[in-house]
Amino acid sequence: MLANVVMTLPRWPIVGRRPELEVFEGALGSGERAGLVIYGRAGVGKTRLADECAAQAAGSGHPAQRIAGSRTTALLPLGAVAALLPDGLGQLGPDGQVDVAALFEQTRRSLRDRHRGRRLVIVADDVALLDVASLALLGYLAAQRAIFLIATVRTGEPVPDLLTDLWRDGRLQRIDLHDLSRAHLDTLLHLALGGPIEAGAGQEFWESSRGNPLYVHELVLGALESGALVERSGVWHLEDHLPATSRLLDLVEQRIGGLPDEARSVVELLALCQPVELGYLETAASPVVLESLERAGLVTIAVAEGQVRLAHPLHAKVVRAAMPKLRARTMLLAQAERLEAASSAPGPAELRTAVWRLDAGGRPDSAVLVRGAHLARSTHDFRMVRRLMEAVPSDERDAVGALLLGEALYELGDFDAAERVLAAGQELPSGENVAMRLAVTRAKNAHWGLCQPEQALAINGAAKAVVSSAPLVEELVAHEAAVLTFSGRPDIALAVLQGITGSDQRTRVVRAIAGAVALATAGRTAEAVALAQASYADHVALGDELAIAHPATHIINQVFALTEAGRLAEAEQLARTGAEVVASHRVPIAQIWFAANLGRVATLQGRLATARRYYAEAAGLAQAHRFAGPRCMALSGLALAHAMLGEPEAAAHALAERAAVPWFGFLGPEQHLADAWAATAAQRPAEAAETFRAAAVEAASTGHRLTESWLLHDLMRTSGEDVSERLRQLAGVCDSALVSARARHAAATRARDAKELTGAADDFEALGAMLLAAEAAGGAAAEFSRAGEGRAATAALRRSAALAAACEGANTPGLFHLATVNAAAADPLSGREREVVLLAATGMASKDIAERLYLSVRTVNNHLQHAYAKLGVTSRAGLAQALGSTI
Amino acid sequence: MTPEQITLVQSSFRRLGPDLPALTVRFYQELFERNPALRPLFTTDMGEQRVKFAQKLSEIVWSMPRLSELLIHTRALGARHVGYGVRATDYQTVGDSLIAALAAVLGDEFDAQTREAWVLAYNIVAETMLEGAASARPIGS
Repeated sequence: MLANVVMTLPRWPIVGRRPELEVFEGALGSGERAGLVIYGRAGVGKTRLADECAAQAAGSGHPAQRIAGSRTTALLPLGAVAALLPDGLGQLGPDGQVDVAALFEQTRRSLRDRHRGRRLVIVADDVALLDVASLALLGYLAAQRAIFLIATVRTGEPVPDLLTDLWRDGRLQRIDLHDLSRAHLDTLLHLALGGPIEAGAGQEFWESSRGNPLYVHELVLGALESGALVERSGVWHLEDHLPATSRLLDLVEQRIGGLPDEARSVVELLALCQPVELGYLETAASPVVLESLERAGLVTIAVAEGQVRLAHPLHAKVVRAAMPKLRARTMLLAQAERLEAASSAPGPAELRTAVWRLDAGGRPDSAVLVRGAHLARSTHDFRMVRRLMEAVPSDERDAVGALLLGEALYELGDFDAAERVLAAGQELPSGENVAMRLAVTRAKNAHWGLCQPEQALAINGAAKAVVSSAPLVEELVAHEAAVLTFSGRPDIALAVLQGITGSDQRTRVVRAIAGAVALATAGRTAEAVALAQASYADHVALGDELAIAHPATHIINQVFALTEAGRLAEAEQLARTGAEVVASHRVPIAQIWFAANLGRVATLQGRLATARRYYAEAAGLAQAHRFAGPRCMALSGLALAHAMLGEPEAAAHALAERAAVPWFGFLGPEQHLADAWAATAAQRPAEAAETFRAAAVEAASTGHRLTESWLLHDLMRTSGEDVSERLRQLAGVCDSALVSARARHAAATRARDAKELTGAADDFEALGAMLLAAEAAGGAAAEFSRAGEGRAATAALRRSAALAAACEGANTPGLFHLATVNAAAADPLSGREREVVLLAATGMASKDIAERLYLSVRTVNNHLQHAYAKLGVTSRAGLAQALGSTI
Repeated sequence: MTPEQITLVQSSFRRLGPDLPALTVRFYQELFERNPALRPLFTTDMGEQRVKFAQKLSEIVWSMPRLSELLIHTRALGARHVGYGVRATDYQTVGDSLIAALAAVLGDEFDAQTREAWVLAYNIVAETMLEGAASARPIGS
């Protein structure tokens, strides 16, 4: 497997060092400098830069050579530079000693002869490790301009005298290297991996490496080898923690290996227990030790907060991994005892001591574990919740404990285990609140985890029988509505929601989770948007309680509602913002929904390649986090995008993948768009039409009005069937601009009204639905043609082509008319006309164009007139627009 | 870059639409303001230069999702720029000028995320152009 990894990763790129390389070139080329010194911390890339400099020099004809100091050669005088010496050590002096001066001069001459006067570029890596004699020789050769010396020096190590002497004489160029910036790290990853990386993964690399190139290199290779870093549909994801490779262990060991015992102990303590109180460390270790660690850049001290941490996040991980278990255990237990003695009151310290005791292999008190789990839950650290709760024996676990564990198991994707734990929890005695939350979580697990909506409804119904307080009952009703909405019955959901009259804040929030979506899909989009907005504010005000979905849910609902309303640009903007926030907070389910919604918006806009990418991203994330329901939907969207791009095999493939996961009924009829369009792309029009019709009927009977309009409109787009009457009705009961535009398009098509078709194109274009606008404009062109209005037809055709160009390769029946345009008139302008038009579009006056092209002004204006006619525009402003669309 | 950032770059570029010529005008304004010493490097007519710039920018933006294709464009472009006397440090000036021009032309639409996406995109372009330049540059002895 490693062999594969090594082969697939192209040469590790050099990023962010070009200015330094140019400095080298300047120094070498000027002839005045004797060499270059590269300073920097360990792992910052000194050796790589030095080698790259030498490679560039060699590439342009300079001879280049590399010498490196090491412990062995350091023992042998001139050992490191043996390769430079002419044969033998020259003549021995009268006392049998080597005549050093003569040897140096001989070496200089032999190099000069060997390289015919060109300076030899020598890379002396880690020059501080060279023996004195070698250093002396290099110094001599550099001063004599026989060589150009590139030396690397690690920050904090003593600089050899030879260098300081040359430096004082101004003969040396200095370069200070630093870790990479965030932007450079991003570029490095992108180039090394060959493609984009998902936001959370990029963040993780930054946090672990802080831009240190060597760490980045090791982390990437380690993650590839362990399978933590994987590519899905052209995007790189991290599906596990970054592992610490043995090389990393060595690297970090090099940094702390030489430390005196006391300093090393402090480092180990921090690695296990950071942050550690400054006050404590000041008593436990001598001040000299702390100071030296800080100076060496190994620890950072936050004086205001009174806390000490290791400077580099990677060091903690690696030191922990390398520590002997027994030693770690002793330290952890000692710290736990210390903290427990210091503060007996429960608080954040308790979580730490519980974890330390667990880390030490012990088993803390169950009560402590549960309290710690609550604390972990408050920061959404579900891994920690599971770890702590699993340490509690099951017979000591009460209903609250079952709820904590069950919820964590659900969030981590272990749905079967969650069901077992939650079902058992429901058997235990508890108050009403806990009983309800157990039921709700178990139902959510059944619906979203196990994809069994009927089971979810049953659990919900059973809970209604056991719970008596009105707000709780209403909340259960709201959850029931959620299951109904997200399994394809928004009509029943809305009816059920009518039965909720309470205005308790929590009830309102839960109610809106389903309510906003059901309203939007029923065509009450303005209400839906308002509800989603208000609920987000309410949810945030509620703080964080068990068993409600993440607040981002309301943002997602708002995106959905805006999309149904036809407010596509707003939906996109909001979704992009939301996606970024949840990516940095690592909420996978929210990331998936944002990606899927972005795909949906892009589909409606006709940006099909973008839609395809978003849906592929959503499907990949859903698969990685085991969310089968969202995966089903993402695959539907992906198949639809493929089909509309004219890729029938890819569409069929996505549909086959979808068939292998349990069917998820949310927006069920809409998901069948994929099946219908796949049939269209595969040239099976009768099957396609039948699928559209059947799905539209299903949509009508379940209250999916927006979906129904989409299905009918697409039926018309692909088969020409008249759907104007039903769309007119739907437009009457929905407040969506999108439905209205569809209805107008259908009516105009039926009436064969070119002006109305142009109007429909305008409507679609205003909404940002470019593909639909292109198809409507194409329809207008056909009708204008039929009516004998040539110029209008050309203009409409050109408009259609321009709009379609924004659709990233869309290939739908509604665009077939463009095939003739593209073939016959791919570039209707003549060469001269094109030249004139290009200049005119940048604002140049006819007089200047004439001068530029050696034409008369009249000729220029003639060309312009012809171009206007061919492009279907009437002015220079129109030219820029027409040209913008063909770039 | 993330896939979303690539999408952002492309969609904001598409939104320029008819304002693309205005962007090129503004870009060169910003560039020469920041470093007047660069002006003599442009020996061709600026009108033609702006059209070329727009075309190149377009090529690069649309090839962003396919790295191998992008590299073909940028490496060749970088190699060509060696002959024009462009230095590695000039790339920073170019980047700043491009971002400033985009901000000016797109206005409110050029929000923080869009800006960040463009910064990262430009970084990739610059680094790979410099890669191309490095393999084309002779060194004096």
